[in-house]
Amino acid sequence: MGDKTDVWQGTLSLMVLRTLETIGPQHGYGLARRIEQTSGDLLQLNYGTLYPALLKLEQEGYIRSSWGTSENNRKAKFYEITKAGQRRLKAAEAEWNQTTAILARFLTPAEEA
Amino acid sequence: MRQFRALLQRFWGLLGSRRADADFAAELESHVVLDTEAGVRNGLTPEEARRQALIRLGGAEQARQVYRERRTLPWVEDLLHDLRFGVRMMTRNAGFTWVAVLTMAVGIGATTTAFTWINGVLLKPLGGVADPSRLVTVETVTSNGEWVPNSYPDFIDFRDQLKSFDGIAVSHVTALSVGKEDHAERVWGELVSGNFFSVLGVQPEAGRLFLPAEYADAPGKFPIAVISDRYWRSHYGADPSIVGKTIRVNQHELTIVGVASPAFHGSIPVTAFDLWIPYMEQPVLNGVQEWMLRDRHDRNMLGIARVKQGVTFEQARLELKTLADRMAVANSNVSLGMSATLMPLWKSPHGPQGLLVGPLRILMGVCVLVLLIVCANVANLLLARATVREKEFSARLALGATRRRLARQVLTESLLLTGTGAALGLAVTPWMGHVLGLLMPPGPMQQLVAMDTRPDLSVLAFTAGVCVLAALAAGLVPALQVSRINISARLNAGGRSGAGSRGRNRLRAVLVAGEVALALVALVGAGLFARGFAQTMQIDPGFNPDHVLLNQFYLNTNGYSLQQRKEFCRRLEQRMLGAPGVTDVAYSDGVPLGFEPSWWEELRIDGYAPKPNENMNIFRNVVSPGYLPLMHIPMVEGRDFTDADNESQDVGAMIVNEAFVRRFSAGRNPIGTRIHGWGNWFRVVGVVKDSKYHYLGETAPPYFYVPFRQIYREDMNLAFYVRTKGEPDSVLSTLRAQVRELDPNVTVFDAAPLKEFIGASLYPQKVAASLMTVLGSIALLLAAVGLYSVMAYSVAQRTQEIGVRMALGARPGHVLGMVIRQGLTIAVAGLIAGGALAILMARAVASVSFTNSAMGSSAKLVGSGANGPVIYFAAAGFLCGIAALASYLPARRAASIEPMQALRAE
Repeated sequence: MGDKTDVWQGTLSLMVLRTLETIGPQHGYGLARRIEQTSGDLLQLNYGTLYPALLKLEQEGYIRSSWGTSENNRKAKFYEITKAGQRRLKAAEAEWNQTTAILARFLTPAEEA
Repeated sequence: MRQFRALLQRFWGLLGSRRADADFAAELESHVVLDTEAGVRNGLTPEEARRQALIRLGGAEQARQVYRERRTLPWVEDLLHDLRFGVRMMTRNAGFTWVAVLTMAVGIGATTTAFTWINGVLLKPLGGVADPSRLVTVETVTSNGEWVPNSYPDFIDFRDQLKSFDGIAVSHVTALSVGKEDHAERVWGELVSGNFFSVLGVQPEAGRLFLPAEYADAPGKFPIAVISDRYWRSHYGADPSIVGKTIRVNQHELTIVGVASPAFHGSIPVTAFDLWIPYMEQPVLNGVQEWMLRDRHDRNMLGIARVKQGVTFEQARLELKTLADRMAVANSNVSLGMSATLMPLWKSPHGPQGLLVGPLRILMGVCVLVLLIVCANVANLLLARATVREKEFSARLALGATRRRLARQVLTESLLLTGTGAALGLAVTPWMGHVLGLLMPPGPMQQLVAMDTRPDLSVLAFTAGVCVLAALAAGLVPALQVSRINISARLNAGGRSGAGSRGRNRLRAVLVAGEVALALVALVGAGLFARGFAQTMQIDPGFNPDHVLLNQFYLNTNGYSLQQRKEFCRRLEQRMLGAPGVTDVAYSDGVPLGFEPSWWEELRIDGYAPKPNENMNIFRNVVSPGYLPLMHIPMVEGRDFTDADNESQDVGAMIVNEAFVRRFSAGRNPIGTRIHGWGNWFRVVGVVKDSKYHYLGETAPPYFYVPFRQIYREDMNLAFYVRTKGEPDSVLSTLRAQVRELDPNVTVFDAAPLKEFIGASLYPQKVAASLMTVLGSIALLLAAVGLYSVMAYSVAQRTQEIGVRMALGARPGHVLGMVIRQGLTIAVAGLIAGGALAILMARAVASVSFTNSAMGSSAKLVGSGANGPVIYFAAAGFLCGIAALASYLPARRAASIEPMQALRAE
């Protein structure tokens, strides 16, 4: 258990948006796998929790979904980032960078400050 | 913004829930399939791959649950679910639902109706005016403190000198005859000062209202009129080209300049007028002499003023009073001791609202009482239902429902019941508005009463509030009970019922006792009002109104001169006297105990030195020679008027009443006393017995009569009386025919038996008594139903116990007695509490009085109290009887229980 981290609340949607922006339209399973791989298998993603997060993003208009066929001809629901989602992602990235930068100043050794 | 979008989406989600569930199931399935395929590619067996995929998914059911909660709004969904369930429960128990919904409809319908009336009369007395909260009534105050209308010269002084007001306007209510002579129509209108519409802030629907130029005080210069929206629609089909057309009023052509806004009905609450004409047309239209417009004695203008923004009511009142006091000194020959005051519109003693305010307050109180009883009843029904459903609730608790969720379910169901009841009640309310008109005394008032009873926003808000409160009141106790259910006890008890619900039975007994208490209050109230009414009815008016037909003529509307009017009366009197079945004929200005204000004259009496500031304005009537005999008012001394008492005499004749003699000619023979009034000398020729003049409860004021031919003036009314041998209505057709022969243009509009007409003075008491009786009966019925249901239920629960008792040798009579005793115990407890409440209520109601338009005097609604205790005991005894009956029926069933059957039923 100890070597894998649970996904923090709120960061999952950022990861979803980022992943969708990078790889284009993707179904739920593909997204889950991709997020795990990107984290270097450090993240333990409970696949079940991914879907409510996707629903929330869709309700907020950041992504849209439609049924399609997967690479091996399976029916699956594909998610795609919207314009609003891209804007949201940009804003969130900036916020996130700022937050980590601030935290970094606190956490770096004292003599460098 | 995004959150709002999400919220909207979730609301949408409420609609297509089944399809969305299937959609998500398909998505999860495709997820598992994709994961399984990946596993198979990595060399796992299909079964193992699928197993691992499901593990990684982490519980499809949980995912589905979280997903569903996110997709919709869980609390709304719960609510919808509760509602759906509630409706299903309601339709399944149709009998229970009907009883609960109908009782609620009665309670809420009554309360809403009462509020609609109060809303119309007290809260927004005038429709279609700007900022009604700053409008006030201006009343002149006599030196005795009575409120009377204003004179036109007083109005001009007020208008020109007061600073605390945006404006002050006056109006004079009058009957008008509209149209060609031979098919004229009676229309009620107001003769108004030119600034009337601008003071009230009324908007025109078409054309314009009166302009500032028309504010001038130039008699006969403004032959124009404004019509009501109602009249425009009914008589002109809402013709937009109405402006500029002429309308024939009292044989004079007036130009219609505009139509008032639809919401505007005139300046008197609860009353609808159709025509507004500048007061300066009064001399032309009604033949009133121009000097009367300048006479401060001629007080026939109702004043209405708009207080300036930022000026308090009290400041405005003080300024008015100061000015009026100064005017009283300046015009001391006519206005000595007079003053003026302001009051809220609904307090004005003129018009129907003066009569309505007291009864309406009582009505509201009674409605709240009925609503409380209704709530107790529905709470009782819900409790009984909750007992029946205890198993269902226990099962739901056992399956994991929270107690809060169950309590919410019960409250939702109770809200559903009250909501349905409220909807039914609201549907009835507009219809109830007409009842108010039926309750008004006959005569012009009945035609004029108009109230906007369409439920408006405040009424709807009120009903919704009452509905929620009632739902809480009725549902709270059952909901608390449900949340206290002991699961294991319930489930273990199996089919056995009765043991665990003792506490609930006690609760229901308390509720029923409360109902009995409230019913007692309602009954005692009904008794008190009915007694007050009966007491008043027994008062001898001092004249005999039976077998008299009364008709009011408005000859001014036919363009009659004063001389023509007198001539008309004389000839009609002759013709009617010759008609079969007629014994007496007479005519006068005022009608005793009528609805219109009585008038007075300032007198100077030879040999009587008035004290400083003594009010020498004495009430009077102007009557024809036959009046006193027709009314059966006995002469005590001297003679009646004769035809010789006419215009040719230099000194007029006068007849006074005994109270007049007691006050002004103590110890002297009153006959022959010289009295000065109307700028003329009179000599007392007779004394009559006191009778009632303004309302039945009054103590006789000094009063005098003067001959019609000597004193009758253009601005006076004309009441025509015919005494008959049989029913007064029997001569109505004769009267019509005779009037038509005299002048086909004069129509008999509103002839009514005098007995009915004078009922006006009894109106508030009549209304209070009849409303209380109706609502008291409802309360009684509800309490009886409540008691019966509790007793029947408790007997049903104790079937087994009673069976055992009977098997052990208890006689049926014994069982009967036991059950009835139980019912009576509840009732007596309720009666004791109710008795205390009723005494408190009687005190509160005793202080409510009503205003009679005659001189603004106040009269009490409830007679003062000798046989009070009788009413209390009679009501309590009656309720005990009802309680015994309500418990007898279940008791008889209990006594007829077959022991073997009762035991086998277990």
